[in-house]
Amino acid sequence: MATEGALLSATGITRRFGGITAVDGVDLHVREGEFLSVIGPNGAGKTTLFNLISGQDRMDAGRVTLEGRDITNLTPHRIAENGIARTFQHGRVFGNLTVMDNVLIGCHTRLRAARSRVPVLAPVIEILRALIRPAPVRAEDAAMRAEARDIIATFGDRLTPRIDQPTYSLSYANRRRVEIARALALHPRILILDEPTAGMNESETAEMQQIIGDLKAQGRTILLIEHKLNMVMQLSDRIMAMDNGKVIAEGTPAQVRNDPRVIEAYLGHSSIGGTAPAAKSLTEGAQ
Amino acid sequence: MESLLSLPWFDFTISGVVIGSIYALMAVGLALIFGVANLINFAHGSVFTVGSYIGWTCAVALGLPLWATVLVVAAAGGIVGALIELLAIRPLNHQSRIAPLLATIGVGLILDQIVHIIFGANPRALPVSLPNLRFSIGSGTIGAIDITIFVTGVISALALYLFLFHSKLGMAVRATAQDGDAARQMGVGINAINMTVFGIAGALGAIAGLLVGIYYNSIDPNASFEIMLKGMVAIVIGGMSNVPGAIGGGLILGLIESYGIALFGASYRDLFAFAVLLLMLLLRPNGLFARAHAREAEPMTGTFVTRAKPVRIPAWALVAGAVLIALVPALGQPYLTQVMTNALLYALAAMSLTLVAGTLGLISIGHAALLAVGAYASALLTMAGLPVALGLVLAAAITAVLGAALTYPAFRLRGHYVAIGTLAIGEIVALVILNWTSLTHGSMGLYGIPPLELFGIPLFSTNASYWFVLALVIVFALLQMRLLSSHLGRTWRAIREDTIAAETYGVASNYYKGLAFGFAGFVAGISGAVSAHQFSYINYDTFNLLTSVLILTIVILGGLGNVTGAIVAAIIVAGLPEVFRTLAEYRMLFYGMALLLLIRFRPQGLMGSD
Amino acid sequence: MTGKPLLVLDRINSFYGPVQVHFDLSLTVPEKAIVCLLGGNASGKSTTMKTILGLKTPQSGHVLLEGRDITGAPTAEIVRAGISVVPEARRLFGEMTVRENLLMGAYVRADKAAIAEDYDRVLELFPRLRERLRQKAGTMSGGEQQMVAMARALMGRPKLICMDEPTMGLSPLFVDRVLELIATVNKTGVSVLMVEQNASMALRIADYGYVLQSGRIALEGPARDLLADPRIRTAYLGETIE
Repeated sequence: MATEGALLSATGITRRFGGITAVDGVDLHVREGEFLSVIGPNGAGKTTLFNLISGQDRMDAGRVTLEGRDITNLTPHRIAENGIARTFQHGRVFGNLTVMDNVLIGCHTRLRAARSRVPVLAPVIEILRALIRPAPVRAEDAAMRAEARDIIATFGDRLTPRIDQPTYSLSYANRRRVEIARALALHPRILILDEPTAGMNESETAEMQQIIGDLKAQGRTILLIEHKLNMVMQLSDRIMAMDNGKVIAEGTPAQVRNDPRVIEAYLGHSSIGGTAPAAKSLTEGAQ
Repeated sequence: MESLLSLPWFDFTISGVVIGSIYALMAVGLALIFGVANLINFAHGSVFTVGSYIGWTCAVALGLPLWATVLVVAAAGGIVGALIELLAIRPLNHQSRIAPLLATIGVGLILDQIVHIIFGANPRALPVSLPNLRFSIGSGTIGAIDITIFVTGVISALALYLFLFHSKLGMAVRATAQDGDAARQMGVGINAINMTVFGIAGALGAIAGLLVGIYYNSIDPNASFEIMLKGMVAIVIGGMSNVPGAIGGGLILGLIESYGIALFGASYRDLFAFAVLLLMLLLRPNGLFARAHAREAEPMTGTFVTRAKPVRIPAWALVAGAVLIALVPALGQPYLTQVMTNALLYALAAMSLTLVAGTLGLISIGHAALLAVGAYASALLTMAGLPVALGLVLAAAITAVLGAALTYPAFRLRGHYVAIGTLAIGEIVALVILNWTSLTHGSMGLYGIPPLELFGIPLFSTNASYWFVLALVIVFALLQMRLLSSHLGRTWRAIREDTIAAETYGVASNYYKGLAFGFAGFVAGISGAVSAHQFSYINYDTFNLLTSVLILTIVILGGLGNVTGAIVAAIIVAGLPEVFRTLAEYRMLFYGMALLLLIRFRPQGLMGSD
Repeated sequence: MTGKPLLVLDRINSFYGPVQVHFDLSLTVPEKAIVCLLGGNASGKSTTMKTILGLKTPQSGHVLLEGRDITGAPTAEIVRAGISVVPEARRLFGEMTVRENLLMGAYVRADKAAIAEDYDRVLELFPRLRERLRQKAGTMSGGEQQMVAMARALMGRPKLICMDEPTMGLSPLFVDRVLELIATVNKTGVSVLMVEQNASMALRIADYGYVLQSGRIALEGPARDLLADPRIRTAYLGETIE
């Protein structure tokens, strides 16, 4: 596919662990406003790929650019400053922080109180600002809180009544929602969601799918890892399938769900379950 | 060059190997425990001390022959080790990973105090009659003591080898160290393995204690900490859980020290150990002998802030409490007022530590170093003629900068490594103070530090200095609480909860750790500086490891991260033993028991962690 | 299903914190049978293994071995009662020799003579290992390691071996080899419960199969029937079976 016009471009991404190549020369391009999903069986290298893009891990080879800027192997906080926000596979909220504080951490990259440009004295200024809290700092804080409240309100009455509760006291599904709220607070250019519905029951999954669908409708650029394929089929503009660290198929949902390599990657052999109804059975739930 | 060559290198090598084999005995135990239980046993040095005194009892008091003494010491050390596991470690199975480490600090204090109570605080001679043999080899000599120690070390290593490689239990120990989960799936009982390993480590540590006593013909109840650190350095060199590596690390450390003393003099000896430790932690955290696939350090956060809300105290109660404390001098008991002044200085230090250990989650075991920096800075500045008020502020600022800069190397460490790293940094500060004679007067210390005064207003009366310190505590407590309610408090807590997630959301964690240590350094610096002016004399040992442990106990008692908790706990821990004089005699026992019981039964502290 | 039931899981419900991973999970492994438990990502397969071995106690439900309730019993006792395990990713003791790995499999046993007997028997079954008894297990190839893991499990003289993804991370060539090994082990009279993602491979050698989907049994039946059942695809790819 064409690389020009891509918002995020990753080329030749490779990561080896000892003798195993977990991610092997993967190319990935996302256009502004596009919804791209990455699927594949356990151990395919999906999460490793996302870790490399968002800076949690360092790649052995490859290059990542965001709007043409090279962000290859930057530290995670620099990548966040560049506008990439991600959620984690198993959910990583700050358990002893309230829902509000969790979301406010998402605002950190935009916080002027934390962004002094004065050389050498910047740390002192940041502490003094926090102690004295002049009017601009108070105004910024109030604005961030108001915005955080709005983001939290997009989850209906799931989070708003619990806004001042520590997140460890929340249900699992609610913690996943807090994570997404925190990611939205970063005003991301790209939102990376790593299995946002893992561990959720069917109604929770449906609700999360609705929320992600709304995010897509807002025109956001989204990268999704997900195992619930009917959700992937419904949401994605494009799907990339991985197995053993390599891209094995790429295309529209219709193209990928009929690709025998994808079925083989999941089931071990494409003949299982009979060949004829294969396309049909994968399609059924999706339509 | 001429003079270098003429040094008795052979003798230095022999003494390096002999001391190194003692370090190796210590290190093997630490490595076994780390491998199986993933824990640094800070009580290991105390087992060493217990071993040396049991050795004295057998060899001198009972007159047993050497071989019998060794056997009794080994058996007793084994029992002590196994009891540590059973009573202090096993109950913490389901606690956070740092809990057992803190528990072993408590156990160490208790064991040391027991030795003090039974045998007194002074060193004793440990004469052992050995045949008066000396072998001359070239220009050097080897004596019977050297041979005895070396042979005992080799026999112990052989016995350990036979156990590990030729017994079923030993095989299970190795399997557990390699993959605890898989061993469990084979039906290996982990508790039994842990106890075995603590027992073996205890036996070897106790033998090491006896051997050192024989070598120097002296045993000392205060040796525990230093020898534990040497063992720790050796396993860091060897690769934490690597048993042969621990032996190599011990010998390397012994030789480095021996040659170092030859070249630079004895007072630098410990500096080498800690410099090696810090370099290893930074450059080769998996040890010298690690292969490429060394197991990654446990990614644990270094704190155990529990999931419990802190106790909220209404503002009127805080004000009432402050007024009551301010009225202490009205009781007309100067001694009580002095004790309370001292307790409030500890409160400042504890507020400082609770910020980094509680709010930020980096458990530091070297916090006394910051007090020492503040104390020396203010003392030297005011002795050079600066007014005390300026000295205090400058000292605090210097400590803030140094606090952030010195601990910077520890920022990338995690979990237990933070504890080791901060400990090493703390010891290095003490040793630099000891050795930088031209500035600090070395072991002589600083005399005649000007008393407290502010812009010509004297504060040296008991009551005036009490109120001054109380005012400092109140002001800095309010400042710290204000910081905690700002974006900084939120950011620090986020780093503590999940550093990786925080970084993913744009938090430059090292920078914010630096900020926290800067503010904490400022507060600790003030505490140390005021102490210096109070005491009018300080030396390198005024703020030592016991001070660090005491502050840590206060912080845990108060509830990690809890500012008011730190103040209340400081008054309890630093104040109570002085008020009841009998407690003061058993101070270490009191602190050790407090630490142990808190970790076991109330890890969130009195006031709840925050 | 034929044969006397050896292992029975009866209406297991288990949780990790607030997340429920098993919903009324029931399954049976008959004597001398190979049963496979299939499922895609995050379907709850590995938790099933932990539950059987007593490493995870379910909130409700029972694990029965030959009719005896072993729910949440200490692992040592469960191993002694006759369940051995081939863990996920094999988990050999890499720094120890093959011989030592095998002996660790018999750790809970005290009958020295019988252990020696089993040792010889296992080496007859896997003659390749005899030449490599002194080699460190971590230096062997993936297929050989799988062999050691199975031999180690046999050293417990088990009635049942639980295998957690025995083909994971192996090349297609070795996958066939591992299948043969499993069949060999089964022929000695040992039942096998195999947790697998690779459905076609597992069903080829199994007698009976269960398909686990989000912690529930979505589909079960004789292996031959499952192989031809189109519903297995939908179950696998995370879609709901009507």
